[in-house]
Amino acid sequence: MKITVKAFAMFREVMDMQIELEFPDGATVRTLLTSLTARYEGLSEVMFAAPDTLRDFVNILRNGRNIHFIAGLDTPLDNGDIIALFPPAAGG
Amino acid sequence: MSAESLDARYQRQIPLFGKEGQKKLKNARILLAGAGGLGSAIAMYLAAAGVGYIRIVDEDVVETSNLNRQILYRETDIGSCKVEAAEKTIHALNRDVDVDAVCRHINEKSVGNLVQGVDMILDGMDNFAARYILNRAGLDEKIPFIHGAVNGFYGQVTTLIPGVTPCLRCIIPTTPTWEKNAIIGVTCGAIGSIEATEAIKYITGTGELLKNRLLLWDGLRGESESIQIVNSPECTDCGFSESEPDARRFPV
Ligand SMILES: [Zn+2]
Repeated sequence: MKITVKAFAMFREVMDMQIELEFPDGATVRTLLTSLTARYEGLSEVMFAAPDTLRDFVNILRNGRNIHFIAGLDTPLDNGDIIALFPPAAGG
Repeated sequence: MSAESLDARYQRQIPLFGKEGQKKLKNARILLAGAGGLGSAIAMYLAAAGVGYIRIVDEDVVETSNLNRQILYRETDIGSCKVEAAEKTIHALNRDVDVDAVCRHINEKSVGNLVQGVDMILDGMDNFAARYILNRAGLDEKIPFIHGAVNGFYGQVTTLIPGVTPCLRCIIPTTPTWEKNAIIGVTCGAIGSIEATEAIKYITGTGELLKNRLLLWDGLRGESESIQIVNSPECTDCGFSESEPDARRFPV
């Protein structure tokens, strides 16, 4: 299946703004992040506080819905999904 | 001001939404939460556009380090209460704006009074704890909450309407923490201007609101993109709670 990943703000400093990736059926957000961190040096450090624990500012939307309210890293992926990675700004 | 001088004042914008729209701006009541960098841009543009009532809330005093971005203030305001200095600046620009300057901390206790009688909430806060409180208040009162935030050259903005769009918690469920939080006026200007644009469109019924989309601003690269956002039935603020089915606030 084909997945489109869009990266924003500081994630753009370590990866492409947009990339399309192919995965076998059964892939999850974890599969996707494993693939991305293998591809982009420095991404793992930006995204993960510890193995399997995302930093608190890493927001991941699958077709607009936050994976926090789906199944976190175990959120399943479907062909055509758009995954957005963004670290929300908090200042004012 | 007389009707004629009012027409003259707003003559360059009335073609956008008519005299009816201008009247709606005059009758609009806004809660501006925060009088910092975002709040400055929002306040100046809404006052210039002729919004009739702005309740501006902030508990801080003006500091030297605010002046790189908080364009409501002058060097002579250092040490003054922000909302009082803000009221002076707004009135120097447009004395017809009714400014309610409230020097108060925004928390669960105070927010109920602060949202009374306003048509919408504009986000000029610098922290997510306060934003979540405003998000809940907007849901409770069924009034729109225009969210904006900045970090360095980056920012995000979206218009959140109870029952129509996701809420803030749906899209950003936990407080993001930052080791360094650099901030520059131009980004506050960009995001604050978009928030004010949303308010003007909402009030006058003009154009398409930035709803169900999150606009992510990248000043470093001169890029912006708005991505789809959808509500979550599992959201703890606006969604369905299995233990309390009646707590569901809005149909999906
Ligand atoms: Zn929600």
